[in-house]
This record gives sequence, structure tokens and C-alpha cells, in this order.
Amino acid sequence: MQVHVKLYGTLPKLYLGDYPKTGLDVAAWQGLTVAELVQLVPLPHNQVAIVSINGFLAKAADAVPQNAQVKFFQPINGG
Amino acid sequence: MKFLRVNMTTQTVQYQDVPDAYALVGGRALTSFMVSEEVPATVDPLGAENKLIFAPGYFSGTSLINTSRLSVGAKSPLTGGIKESNVGGTVAFSLAKLGIKAIIVEGKAPSDNYFVLNVEDENTASLILATQLVGERTYATTKKLHKDFGAGKSITCIGPAGEMQLLSASIQSTDLDGRPCRAAGRGGLGAVMGSKGLKAIIVDRRGKMPPELIDAEKFKKASKRYAKDVRADEFSGEILGEFGTAILVEPINAAGGFPTNNARMGQFDGVEKISGETIARVIKERGGKNKHKGCSQCIIDCSNEFVTKEGEYVTSSLEYETIWSMGGMIGNDNLDAIARLDFLCDDIGLDTMNTGAALAVAFDAGYREFGDFEAAIALVEEVAAGTEMGRLIGNGPDSVGKHFNHSRVPTVKGQSIAAYDPRAIQGMAVTYATTPMGADHTAGWVVDQNLEAFGGTVNARGSKGQVEISRDTQIHMAAVDTVGICDFAQSGLATEAGIGNVFAMMSAKSGQNYGQEEWTELGKLVIKVELEFNRQAGFTSADDRLPPMFYNEPLPPYNVVVKVSDAEMDSTFDF
Ligand code: SF4
Repeated sequence: MQVHVKLYGTLPKLYLGDYPKTGLDVAAWQGLTVAELVQLVPLPHNQVAIVSINGFLAKAADAVPQNAQVKFFQPINGG
Repeated sequence: MKFLRVNMTTQTVQYQDVPDAYALVGGRALTSFMVSEEVPATVDPLGAENKLIFAPGYFSGTSLINTSRLSVGAKSPLTGGIKESNVGGTVAFSLAKLGIKAIIVEGKAPSDNYFVLNVEDENTASLILATQLVGERTYATTKKLHKDFGAGKSITCIGPAGEMQLLSASIQSTDLDGRPCRAAGRGGLGAVMGSKGLKAIIVDRRGKMPPELIDAEKFKKASKRYAKDVRADEFSGEILGEFGTAILVEPINAAGGFPTNNARMGQFDGVEKISGETIARVIKERGGKNKHKGCSQCIIDCSNEFVTKEGEYVTSSLEYETIWSMGGMIGNDNLDAIARLDFLCDDIGLDTMNTGAALAVAFDAGYREFGDFEAAIALVEEVAAGTEMGRLIGNGPDSVGKHFNHSRVPTVKGQSIAAYDPRAIQGMAVTYATTPMGADHTAGWVVDQNLEAFGGTVNARGSKGQVEISRDTQIHMAAVDTVGICDFAQSGLATEAGIGNVFAMMSAKSGQNYGQEEWTELGKLVIKVELEFNRQAGFTSADDRLPPMFYNEPLPPYNVVVKVSDAEMDSTFDF
């Protein structure tokens, strides 16, 4: 099973390796959680704070479905 | 430091000593305390009895980074309540360096007379008749004033919207490049300035007055530690410089909280065309500027310079809120049109948020199709032309809703919401509904607690815990807006050690012991004073509600409505 992961903000720069502009195809397994998926991607993991799957926000314990379109976002600040 | 009192009725100016009661505050606390003290709550906001107060933050003019914030306060003609709207640029730092703690503008010039206030130094200021500037937009006004008074001056001015006393009129202020692209946008304070007959304030930027510090060494050390923390933080140290505040577009959209087509949806199909990542790439390809310094003392550089395909200047400091209000909110994914609308609002002197929301209400009522950016541009031009439709747009969403008899109007106390749908991020429902300012995201931005840590430390689409985080943040922000630290430099005070640096600077500047208790008490006092003003102006808890659309219409894609109850809303300020 595979999932597709896109990185936002400065995450592409922080990615350890060459980040393809179209995103990453990550080999995954049935029952893989969001928290586990984050660990699979070579990044400073504290820089991933918000994850969406197929257009919906995901919790750390949520399972990642097959062929999911996943987005990683950094901590945000504003006002 | 001195107060500069400007009487527009008699066209006289007077420097005054600062009363002891105001010695240890600046920014929002100072404007709100003075408005509450000197302006009867029931006055006509556009009448002679209202006062318009400009106050640099308490830390403005010191060595602390990112403290060039100017609070502008008055009774708001938009909300009918007390207002503080703050702006960056160069003016706050310049005023503080001239030793001016506040400018208090009172009275009203004879009708159709416009003046500029020229502040030369800590003893010299004058009002000058400025007939030649009547009707001028802000870029032209600034250009003429720079030519006549010197290119290096800081200019704070209104455009035609302020002169027409429209309720979305902003006060624009120049950035470090001398462009009037920084805005005290909210609450129609440009209309108050227009009602007084004040077209512009010119401030000399060469002041050298040292800041009043009881323990300069202690202040310096703490301010250095603060700057180090801001640099070390990925968001303020890297992300904002590279992408600006537009970096919020994608994550807020992913959270279903990006109000689209007048808040009929929480996600925008055209989001990739207007995201922070796209904007940064387009600016780079065209030879514009990312990482642009907008304000004195800034080390973050969240501003940008957007240019055409041919490399010609369009606008500066194109920010997240405008990308939303002139983008998703009106169904527009044309980036060039968003940039053009941002420029037009700055030039005409309009709040981009209230104006975008007014356009969205008009489109929603069927006046034009969502996505018709040419109509949006034409309508904003109509504001400057003063046509009937232009005036409706310039008076904001409530006026448009009333005209079209259309009930989907996303405002609280007359002011539009910002770029976070309160159904998808329910902490913002509490902030919009309860802040004394009208729907104002900066009064209590709790988006991070609602979304980070993989889906929030509170449930973004539930009510539990939202009142508490909004209350705490609103109290904290009332204190932050008093010292005048830019919102985006708050990474410096996010940790216990970081806020400790702020307390150390408060102690070093005031000579008084300062800790969490004093900080919280300051924030609470500011809010209490503001709430009391609003109560006297006739506000009740019925005004602390969102419009029915947010309670009745489930927001796709999550199909949620606001769940925070009236009783919960009413418990926000139970101190
Ligand atoms: S971060 Fe942006 S808004 Fe804040 S001081 Fe710098 S340029 Fe101004």
C-alpha cells in the first residue's frame, strides 16, 4: 500500500533528501497511523503540527487509508 | 514623554505632561483608558465630542525588536463601541523617538476643511490647511507630502473613504519604503479622522530621544534574549520571511475553516492558486520581493512586494487576511486581482476585510456571481467615486445586507469576521462574539490551540474548552497590544522563559516588580474598561452573539454549526 505526502511551508527544505515537487510516495501498511506516518518521513518531526488526509484534518491516532492524499503543515502563528 | 493634544475646532496644538495615571502604559491600554475617560460613551462617533487617539506601544522606541506598533483608539462608527486598531510601519517608533506618548485629536474642523498635522520634534507641531489634498488617494497624498515635507517623513493618512466618512474607512501608514500600505483597518477609524478634518499626520523620523528606562542594562539583556528566541523559532525566524502570513492559507483551508463564497463553504477549490507557497513562487519568478521589511525594528520581515508579470509594483504587504477577503470569500482565485484589490483598498483607505466581506454579501445576494473579480475591482473603484453602490460597499457588510434585504451577513457588532470560520474553529466563535472590538481575530487568535498537535489541544468543532482559551488569549493580547509587540514576534514570549523576558523588560522600564499576575491584571483591566464603555454605549449580552448563519447553516466539508452556547459566551468575561 502507498500513500502520497505533500509538504508545505519550509518542510520541503527541511526534508532530508531531494524533495520531489509533486510530493512523496510513501510505502505504508494497513492500520498505519498518522503519528507513525510522520515518523516515516525524514524530517524534524517537531516541525509537523497539522496533518490532513483527503481534505480532512487528521488526529495522531487516525489510520491512514490506502492511496491517501496527505498534507503535512508546520506549527502556525498569527493574529 | 509628552502628550500632543490637537484641537481641530480651534486648529491649535498643545504639548502636555503625561499624567501619572498613564505613565506606565502605552498602546491599547492608553487609547482605551483615555477614550473611556474623555469620551462620553453615547456621543456621535463622527461628531466633535469623539476623540481619536494615536499611541505607540509601551515598548515602542526601545531596543526591543518588532515593537513599532501604533494603537489608534476612538469610539467606532462601525461598531458603536470602543475601538483599538493597531498598525505597523514607521510611525510608532518615530513618535516614541520624538518623546511623544500619544497624539489626542479632538473637536472638528469647519466642514470641508482638511488639515495635515506636522510633528517636527518634541516641542514643535502645527496644523496646516491642506486643500490641495482633498479627494486624493493615499499613495498620491503620501507622494505630495514627501515632496513638500521631505522624503524621509513617516505619513499616516486617510483616503477618499475616510473623507466620505464611510464605515470601513481605514487609516493608512507608511512602511519603511514610504508606501502607505500598512493599515489600522478595523472599526472605521479612518471615518473618525475624516470627520475631524484631519487628512494626514506627518512625523519626523530623525528623533533621538532615548527611551525612559529605570534599568537600561536589564532591559537590554532581556530584549536580546527575546530577539534570539524569535530568530530561533522556525515560524518567525524562517517561514514568515519566506512566505509571509499567506502561509496560513493551506492549513486553514485544510481545516475547513477558510470562509468561501460568503462563508457558504469552509474550503476553496481554487486554494492552490492563492496559497502562500504559490504567492512566494510567483513573486520570486516576477522579480518582486519576499522577505520584505515593513516596519521599524523588525527582524522577521513578513511583508512582501507583489509585482506584475512585467515586474511593475502592484502592492506591498499582501497578507493572509486580504488573500482571504478578496480571494476565497468572494470566490476569486485570480492572484493578480487579489493584489490589485489589496492595492485599491490601501489607496482608497479601506479595511480589506470589511470590504471583501461587503462584496461577498453583495455577490451572495445575487448582485454579481462569486468569482467575478472584475466586478469586485469595479465596485471598489465605485467606493472612491462615491456612487450609491460604492457607498454601500464602503459602509461594510451590514449596509450591503440591509440594502439587498439579505440576511447572510458575517459580522459581529457590525464588523466582519476575519479569515477563520467560527464553525470550523470554534475558539474563534468565542473571540469574534465576545471581544469588545466586534469580530476581530487579533483580539484572541486561538487557531493554533484548535488545530496544532494533530487536530488541536481542544476539539476545533466542539465547544469544550473554547471559552477558557479565548478568555486567556484575549487577556494576554490586551497586554501584548499595550506593550506594542507585533503579533508575529510572539514566538519570543511563547515559553515561560520568553514571557519572563517580557516581565523583566516591564520591570526594567517601569521600575516596578512585574510578573504573570501583573500582566494578567493589566489585560483584564483593559478589557474591563472597554466592556464598561460598551455597556454605557448601550451594548448588552445580546450583542455578544454571532449572526444566525453560523448557528443554523452547517459548514461543509465538516457540516458543523457553532456549538458554543449563549451561556458559555456570557461566561467569557466572568472576572
Ligand atoms: S513581522 Fe511583519 S507586521 Fe510584524 S513588524 Fe515585521 S513586517 Fe511588521
